[in-house]
Amino acid sequence: MSGNSNMNHASAADAKMKQLSRKFRVTGLTAGALSGLTYGIYTTLVLVAGYYEPLAGAVGILAAPYVCSGLNDLFAGIWLTIYNAKKGRLAEIGRTLNTFPGKMLVLGALLGGPLANGAYLVGLALAGAYAIPISATCGLFGALFAWIFLKQRPTKRVVAGMVICVTGAIIINWTKPEGSPNFTLGIICALIAAVSWGLEGTLSSFGGAMIDTDVATNIRELFSGLVDLVIIVPLVGGLGLLGGTIAAGLPVLWLAVSGLSAGASFLLWYKANATVGCAIGMSLNVTYAFWGVLFCILFLGQPVTPTIVIGSIVIIIGAILVTMNPLDFFKKGEK
Amino acid sequence: MLLPARMSVLNYLSAVKDADINEIMEAMGPQYKSEKQFTRQTYLDHAMSLEANGMCSLISYELDADGDLSLRFRITDEGKSAVEKYVPEKYRR
Repeated sequence: MSGNSNMNHASAADAKMKQLSRKFRVTGLTAGALSGLTYGIYTTLVLVAGYYEPLAGAVGILAAPYVCSGLNDLFAGIWLTIYNAKKGRLAEIGRTLNTFPGKMLVLGALLGGPLANGAYLVGLALAGAYAIPISATCGLFGALFAWIFLKQRPTKRVVAGMVICVTGAIIINWTKPEGSPNFTLGIICALIAAVSWGLEGTLSSFGGAMIDTDVATNIRELFSGLVDLVIIVPLVGGLGLLGGTIAAGLPVLWLAVSGLSAGASFLLWYKANATVGCAIGMSLNVTYAFWGVLFCILFLGQPVTPTIVIGSIVIIIGAILVTMNPLDFFKKGEK
Repeated sequence: MLLPARMSVLNYLSAVKDADINEIMEAMGPQYKSEKQFTRQTYLDHAMSLEANGMCSLISYELDADGDLSLRFRITDEGKSAVEKYVPEKYRR
């Protein structure tokens, strides 16, 4: 009898464990997929905000993207602060900043925010939707920096993924779209974004796994927004444009919504990384390139050209191959 | 100032052979109990995320007296090294 009862107890535990593991994994995979979708939405909404005056008629190539980037990230930071306050985690922000991994996070936020996000938005302004898949090569640079700085040798699969990414980038650049005089500069900016995001990922290897991801994203977005608005915008002569944008009202509303989407995207992405691992998390997140290009075609009149369609698909395949073995995805799913 | 909760969980695991969520929460209780974030679900998330990142491993699971699943975690070498590198001496257990 006692033997039977022990066996029942063990199989009930097995069933509950299986259920918990499945729930944890499904949550992670869903979070990763949604992080890609919400980043695509964020990209489209920032472009929409840029269609309004005074942003549309802004002089120079840096002021408007940095005003957008700063307001978007600040709003994302505010939304995330409200979320964490509701969860009773506000004190965690100060505690995290007091640790070495927290300080690395701030350094990463400076790379990923003012540098990468700013460059991404300049790239979008100059090269349109073509900049989106180019920025998705950040996984390639992440693997490259891990090789250089962390001595993590890439496998043949990773190298193959890198080559595919580069091929996709070449395809995208094969024919310049008409009426985009600064197209190549836009693509270079998108590449700067990808390099900086790759470096940001490398910095997270300094104890980033010990930090609550909901707090990490909050710190990242708040710092990024504040540095953009307090330091970068005045430096690029955008203070007047910032004042004008706030006074105009409507573009700020769009940026508040894009900030909500960007905040949700980072929250979900970091959660996916902490739940199903960085490789799968990053592979799912990179689908933002697909969503971003699709939304730009559907809602913003981005012309459909063979180079953008084929190039985007090739880069997404390459980016996924850099971060994970696609066969593992199915194997783990069968468990 | 206290350590961030997730780091504190790993710090605790570095001082014991292994522990389940109840034991982790009992050990964290004196410092974190008054906080709204002090819930079983949050601490389960901390432990499982640390596990997903290779900082600790799940060594066993069973049903406790209430019929709830009890997971037992043990710190890994990678987790120990992270604690040694990033948790200041004054917080070590």
